[in-house]
Amino acid sequence: MTGHPPRPTSPDTAPGEESDSFLSGSAGYIIGLALALALTGISFWASQSNLLWHPGIPIGLCVLAVAQMGIHLVFFLHITTGPDNTNNVLALAFGLIIVFLVIAGSLWIMANLNYPMMPMEQVMRMQS
Amino acid sequence: MLGKLTWSAIPFAEPLPLITSIVVLAVIGGVLAWITAKGHWGYLWHEWITSVDHKRIGIMYVMLGLIMLLRGFSDALLMRTHLAMASGVNQGYLPPEHFNQIFSAHGTIMIFFVAMPLVAGMMNFILPLQLGVRDVAFPTMNSVSFWLTASGALLINVSLFIGEFARTGWLAYPPLSELQYSPGVGVDYYLWSVQITGIGTMLSAVNLVTTILKLRAPGMRYTRMPVFCWTALASNLVMLAIFPILTACLAMLTLDRYLGFHFFTTDGGGNAMMFVNLVWMWGHPEVYALVLPAFGIYSEVVSTFSSKPLFGYRSMVTASMVICILSCMVWLHHFFTMGAGADVNAFFGIATMIIAVPTGVKIFNWLFTMYGGRVRFEVPMLWTLGFMITFVTGGLTGVLLAVPPVDFIVHNSQFLVAHFHHVIISGVVFGLFAGYSYWFPKAFGFRLHDGLGKAAFWCWFFGFYLAWMPMYVIGLMGATRRMQHYDDTSWQPYMIASACGAGLILCGVLFQAAQLVVSIRNREQLRDTTGDPWDGRSLEWSTSSPPPAFNFAVLPDVRGEEAYWGMKQRAIAQRQLANAPAYAAIEMPRNTPIGFITAFCASFTGFALVWHIWWLVLLGLVAVFVAFVRFGWRREDEVEIPASEVARLDQARRAARSTALADLTDDRREMADAALALAATAPHQLGHDGDREAPLSARHDGPAERHIVTSFGFWVFLLTDIVMFSALFATYAVLSGATDGGPTPHILFSRSTVGVETVCLLFSTFTCGLALLAAKRRNTGLTQLLLAATGLLGAGFLAIELREFATLIAEGAGPSRSAFLSGFFALVGCHGLHVAAGLVWLTTLTAQIAKRGFEPKVQRKLLCFGLFWHALDIVWVAVFTIVYLFGTSL
Repeated sequence: MTGHPPRPTSPDTAPGEESDSFLSGSAGYIIGLALALALTGISFWASQSNLLWHPGIPIGLCVLAVAQMGIHLVFFLHITTGPDNTNNVLALAFGLIIVFLVIAGSLWIMANLNYPMMPMEQVMRMQS
Repeated sequence: MLGKLTWSAIPFAEPLPLITSIVVLAVIGGVLAWITAKGHWGYLWHEWITSVDHKRIGIMYVMLGLIMLLRGFSDALLMRTHLAMASGVNQGYLPPEHFNQIFSAHGTIMIFFVAMPLVAGMMNFILPLQLGVRDVAFPTMNSVSFWLTASGALLINVSLFIGEFARTGWLAYPPLSELQYSPGVGVDYYLWSVQITGIGTMLSAVNLVTTILKLRAPGMRYTRMPVFCWTALASNLVMLAIFPILTACLAMLTLDRYLGFHFFTTDGGGNAMMFVNLVWMWGHPEVYALVLPAFGIYSEVVSTFSSKPLFGYRSMVTASMVICILSCMVWLHHFFTMGAGADVNAFFGIATMIIAVPTGVKIFNWLFTMYGGRVRFEVPMLWTLGFMITFVTGGLTGVLLAVPPVDFIVHNSQFLVAHFHHVIISGVVFGLFAGYSYWFPKAFGFRLHDGLGKAAFWCWFFGFYLAWMPMYVIGLMGATRRMQHYDDTSWQPYMIASACGAGLILCGVLFQAAQLVVSIRNREQLRDTTGDPWDGRSLEWSTSSPPPAFNFAVLPDVRGEEAYWGMKQRAIAQRQLANAPAYAAIEMPRNTPIGFITAFCASFTGFALVWHIWWLVLLGLVAVFVAFVRFGWRREDEVEIPASEVARLDQARRAARSTALADLTDDRREMADAALALAATAPHQLGHDGDREAPLSARHDGPAERHIVTSFGFWVFLLTDIVMFSALFATYAVLSGATDGGPTPHILFSRSTVGVETVCLLFSTFTCGLALLAAKRRNTGLTQLLLAATGLLGAGFLAIELREFATLIAEGAGPSRSAFLSGFFALVGCHGLHVAAGLVWLTTLTAQIAKRGFEPKVQRKLLCFGLFWHALDIVWVAVFTIVYLFGTSL
């Protein structure tokens, strides 16, 4: 019943696990906060700016939002790509697939359901 | 005082529900009186009701499922006998409004309160045993999940006696289920009972996913897990993905009914199709969540009773995981005919057909497992064979329905009803019965009577064909589903045949009841002394039957696939068991009534919500909160089983095994010798898959540490929460243009307010992170200071948001103004509710730190709180971008 070495350092990390050093830990939070504030600021600015090509703004806002979520994941939730984080990242990836399916699927289907519908004005015109 | 509840809620004028009520109440009263007379209450309370042992909870789940099966099946008998009569001038014996309630209740009960509890029960009982561990990841939460399911089941059955049930079908499509068209309490019973059990299921899925991913015996790598564990993983992942969508969807319908929102109404810009879309995003994967564990059961049974390793283990695993993902991509095939264009219909039609591929892979794997094996036709194997024959044809009618033009012809017909009964009865129900007879000896220590089991199988098998094949025919002839009466008398012979089939199934059910009674009476003859009655291959058979509370005296050392088969062959070849291990004391989780209390309160709260008894709602919620705080402050979470007791129990098991080993024939020994010799030449056989050559990173060291398990579980829970938000986001996005002539986002939203809110939240997440760092260094003062700052910033955010809401409502832009505002209030309000819940949690946490300091339990909770608070920020980023910035810029 031997054959297993005494447990080595765990190859596994809890999601959100803090680093041991307060200094380097808080440095991460300060960088994260600065980046998050900056991205939020850019979003707010971009949504009202006249300097940008208007039809591109929604996409730009989405990119900024996704970037900020990434910042939160890395600096606040401490998600890394290391082997000790595989399970955490896989769970996250699964969640993201589902979120994508729910939102993109709903939008696609609902837009498609509306498409063959005759516009309301046209219906009115036909009835009168 | 009692809301809408009056004496008229009791169905005095309707003999059928009234008599049923009286009989059921008499039976319940009789059972309770018997328990009291025999003095069993103490035993029940201490050993079962408050138990957090996964085996006990699993057994209770199965018992709940079987009792509910009787209810759902009696509904089926009522419908079948009624339809056999209700032809031409004969109106049958069920009036339409009663018939509608019966088919709605039948569907709801069979899915939520029969199939789900049975599946959950099997997984709960077997998973820790197969993984070689002592319990699930969160034993107390497991008890809460079970009792919530039981509470939902209670509520749906109360509707039979007090009030009415929904007449809307099992998915309660709006606008029919809206207040305007269903003003009674039926839909409310539906909503709250499903909601309560749904929360239980979600928690159970979090628990089991964490168990499989984080708690496995040493050496139990992913590629060595039995296939049942894999299919259970796939199934629970699906549940994690879809139940939050159902929760959001039903919550929106509830808001429509209770607070005048306009999500799915015909006026105010509501869109009923969004309900259909969301509910099927849950509904379709749900059937895969049910059938996947059944596939796992078939795999175990086929391999055991063919005395061969499962053919194509890796393809089986891959197929399960592919089904897990694909099942979430096909939901539109449930509403092909509701107006989508050819492109959308084609996409979902093809996606649906693709699922047949991994399923086909599984069928071939089972066939090849049997090929060349010594197949033993025991009862579990009969169910499996019945499944394989029946499921293939049922699946084929599914592929047929996946073709949109065909679906246009047969949708909403009896053909469709026949199809889904065909796949669910053969796929899920047969699988559960196979599992029931396969694992019964493990659970109770004696086998079920063989002859009666076989009789039950044959009745079910032929009864199924007799009941459902005629329905395909009359479906093609034009008979619609949910039909209470038909004028075309040429359908009647088919309906009569179908009723006879139901009668044959009734014989099957009676045989099963008799089997249980006879087996309990003859348990001494049927006793399983060795713990391995079927010559099994996975770890649950290595412990005694029934297993001790701690499952394994020493966690098994897994050296390959089919862990127990390998151990057994070595023992047989060496003519002796492995040496006795050194026994140590074992800590097991302490029993707690918290699950029962939660369900007790949930039942009253649910009932009060149905009848609008608001003081009782409040009382129930406060009581649950108090109970949870008390539980959180509990000092001792574990009881210790002394080493001597562990040794005594395990030595008894080893003695039984040694006797069995000595009784083996020489023939069997030669087989083991041959198998081991083969294993020496082909190391992947028989559990020597080259562990020593495996890289260090591929080794598995056994269950993860406590804080990793806890925070990973919470991480998974958060993902389900995010999925729920995504359903709200999708609804908001779809409805945001539906202002119904009312104010638009442009007019309503103030960017400066949102900016301040955002800054508050960002800084609170920053202080929360620093607080966790300080807590890790055990600096109480700094931690408390930073947590207080987090709380204040969060409270500031909430105050601003509430002011915004109050202003909007005062200006006449409340949630009932338009669908857009309904979506807005639901989405942003849901985030606000999360913040409020976080603040309450934060308060209890700071109190705990002040009182208890940084004991490990508190540290784990802090870690989870940090995850929660950071995740709320991530959701807020999406909220301010999509709601406020899009709203004010576009």
